[in-house]
Amino acid sequence: MRDRLAEALRRCRSDYAEIRVERTWASRVVYRGKRLELANESVDGGGCVRVLNRNGGWGVASFTSLEALPAMLEAADQMSRAIHLEEPISLAEVQPREDIVVPQADGDPRRVPLAEKRRYLEALNELILASSDRIADTQCAYGDSWTEWTFANSEGTYLHESRPEVALSASATARDADRIERAHDSLGLRGTWADVQGREEMFRSVARRAVELLSAPTVKGGTYPVVLDPKLAGVFVHEAFGHLSEADFVFENPQAREMMRLGRRFGREIVNFGDDGAAAGLRGTLPYDDEGTPTGRTELVREGVLVGRLHSRETAAKMGERPTGNARAINFRHPPIVRMTNTYIGNGAGSFEDLIADIPLGVYAVDAVGGQTYLENFSFTAALGYMIRDGKVGEMVKDVVLAGNLFQTVARIDRVAGDFRWNQMGGGCGKGGQFPLPVTEGSPHVRIEELLVGGEMPR
Amino acid sequence: MIERVLEAAARRAEAADAWLRDGSTSALRFEAGRLKEGTLAQEAGLNLRVIARGRVGVAGTTDLGAPDELVERALASASLGEELALSLPPLRPPSAVPTFDDTAAGLDTAALAALGRRVLEQLARPLWHVSASVDRTVETVRFANSTGQAYTYRSTGVSVAAEVTRVGGDDVLMVYDHVAGAGPPTEAELDAVAQSIIRRMALAERVVTSPEGRLPVLFTPTGSAAVLLPLLQALSGKSVLQGVSPLGGRLGDSVFDPGLSLTDEPLLPGRLGSRPADDEGVPSARTALIDRGVVRGFAYDLETAARAGATSTGHGRRSIFGRPAIGFTNLVVAAGEFDEAELLREMGAGLVVDELIGVGQGNVISGAFSHPVALAFGVEGGEIVGRVKDAAVAGNSYELLKRIRAIGRVQKWIGGRKAVPGMVVEGVNVAAR
Repeated sequence: MRDRLAEALRRCRSDYAEIRVERTWASRVVYRGKRLELANESVDGGGCVRVLNRNGGWGVASFTSLEALPAMLEAADQMSRAIHLEEPISLAEVQPREDIVVPQADGDPRRVPLAEKRRYLEALNELILASSDRIADTQCAYGDSWTEWTFANSEGTYLHESRPEVALSASATARDADRIERAHDSLGLRGTWADVQGREEMFRSVARRAVELLSAPTVKGGTYPVVLDPKLAGVFVHEAFGHLSEADFVFENPQAREMMRLGRRFGREIVNFGDDGAAAGLRGTLPYDDEGTPTGRTELVREGVLVGRLHSRETAAKMGERPTGNARAINFRHPPIVRMTNTYIGNGAGSFEDLIADIPLGVYAVDAVGGQTYLENFSFTAALGYMIRDGKVGEMVKDVVLAGNLFQTVARIDRVAGDFRWNQMGGGCGKGGQFPLPVTEGSPHVRIEELLVGGEMPR
Repeated sequence: MIERVLEAAARRAEAADAWLRDGSTSALRFEAGRLKEGTLAQEAGLNLRVIARGRVGVAGTTDLGAPDELVERALASASLGEELALSLPPLRPPSAVPTFDDTAAGLDTAALAALGRRVLEQLARPLWHVSASVDRTVETVRFANSTGQAYTYRSTGVSVAAEVTRVGGDDVLMVYDHVAGAGPPTEAELDAVAQSIIRRMALAERVVTSPEGRLPVLFTPTGSAAVLLPLLQALSGKSVLQGVSPLGGRLGDSVFDPGLSLTDEPLLPGRLGSRPADDEGVPSARTALIDRGVVRGFAYDLETAARAGATSTGHGRRSIFGRPAIGFTNLVVAAGEFDEAELLREMGAGLVVDELIGVGQGNVISGAFSHPVALAFGVEGGEIVGRVKDAAVAGNSYELLKRIRAIGRVQKWIGGRKAVPGMVVEGVNVAAR
């Protein structure tokens, strides 16, 4: 492989060229209700090349047949040359290096029989089905993959990594006459089979939650002080702040750049945000990004002030900042774009009880079903909520959708607890047609003075 | 490859079907108003299903040089599979529908770039950050099964999309539009994309406070996604089979306003969902899902039909990996009688919703939705008065669609495969900050 890539790069006449080749073995088991929907194994593979020429544009080509590599490099070169740019694209310097990374994985999922994976998921699925006669449906999945990833560029970088991933997801639908409620949880790790054993409580808890939601009222829409649990706070920092920190949003837009200027104060001194692509054992962690840049920790907001952003080699060069190792692609079918890795709100002080003690009426929003950003406006859907009444956790409520303006909401973070944890959720991030990208979020409990909570309007 | 795979499968299984897609997409990306990136994506892969000892297994691959390994994996999958009396469909010829546009297939880089530039040039204004993309796909689909069904068809698709971002201090406005079809868009269609963006940018210049309360809302074609998505999930035979569809057991009932009709139309020339047969060998045919408010049909694929005691409606959709599942082709929501000015006058005072944040998240199938607005406008005295920000709309589709105040006369094609008119519904909860 190495010689093949080197030869192809030698023959390529572009000023800069890179090749990324992947081969992925995956297995998947899905239960829906009482039935097994799918249990199978698959092999997928292909490559992606990107080239640049002086005063030319990007030429990108992806393919599923490696035989096509030389022809694809040629096609990419032609596309690059057909584009004439007045201002050339440059790439921030990254020290060329060679590295073959051996994973710290506990076992190889390809050696575990598919029948054993099926048995495990069947038992977990059964925990949900057996928990209540109001459980109408389930959707549970196990998935693992092992990717051999190889990267080489015309600067002399050659990298090889083995990238394992494993995920479990549980979904329960409870039904009572016309009322239908769903609960969901997932686990995603950069790990293998051994790392997802013993997860019975996750499945039992999803079943319980779906049934509890049947009798929970919809939260009354309005503005409240809101406490976010660590999972939802993590989704918040990812959706509301992380996407604006991705430099490809600002690097060619002077007004956006001004809006996200370094040194701008976004919040109080208790507020710290960052993204760490090298944090040990996390799903978004890899030693190198998909441009061959070493990953690392990037501070985004320090004591309330914007101090950094996430870059690819191109955005870093354009903005005169250092590359941060945040250029990622979900697989070989796509070119890398600026993405998050493991994004966090830094630890604070105090307990959850401290945060709610002086709230006469508020909402405790727990766990995230999903989130979306529309630039400075964001929305996220909590899995459920609880009313906070007179400093204590009250009744469960549902349909808790939180919405706001990023700038106002970050400025309204007035307490950050000292109970930080990383959320090992499954699913993934979507951007530019690339979904799902494995990411992680981490946070302590966080309090926002005032936030719009969706739901039923009071009559 | 497909014949070899079927042959090898037929020796060890009672039945098999295989679907192969070989496609190539050329794309151009314009950023900050100029052409910046050219992309070529090629992918060929095959999805094989086998029925061995009454059990179903599936495997997919992009390695077309290894048919025996693929068959082994499909058989291994079947050995763990559930028993299912799945029979392959009766042999009937595929329906006739043109899916390949020669002009689209022949567009070179310069021609593709010209499509993008025609829109970009109209959007070149101070402080407007403009991006655009042009995509052209050419694909061959081959299907064959062990009862002798076999067909091939080629298809093309062209889409042009543009987005304007305007940042003013901390206020960010993003307006998007696109056009997509089997053939290249006409000049009129490209101009309409530019004009739609320009018009909404102008309407959004003035920001007004949001109305609040239970109000009528005009959901534009793009804005109606949140209201219609629960129905699409409920109309899937899979949801009905699993007992989680609110429409299950209501075939023949009048559930919605008589103005609401929804059909699945796989035989429309020029539309991206069109195909002569589905991905399981069932010839395409029109399916009435909701007819004048009455639930008329659900969408089935072979497996769901077998389990439900129904017949496949030709909605089997496959991708290279994974198992066949139910997917719609071209969805058409019937148009009504009102033009846009009349829709606004019907409403009097309320909100126009063009885009919401977070659609598809939450307990969708129950019909309940709650989303902040991404792009919305306030209406007073039957006219749009400005942009509304910082508001959220909530409701339940099943309640809201029982009484539709007015439906627009013109449908917009979204993604080349969904035709939707504007709709005024009453009693939507609007909350503001």
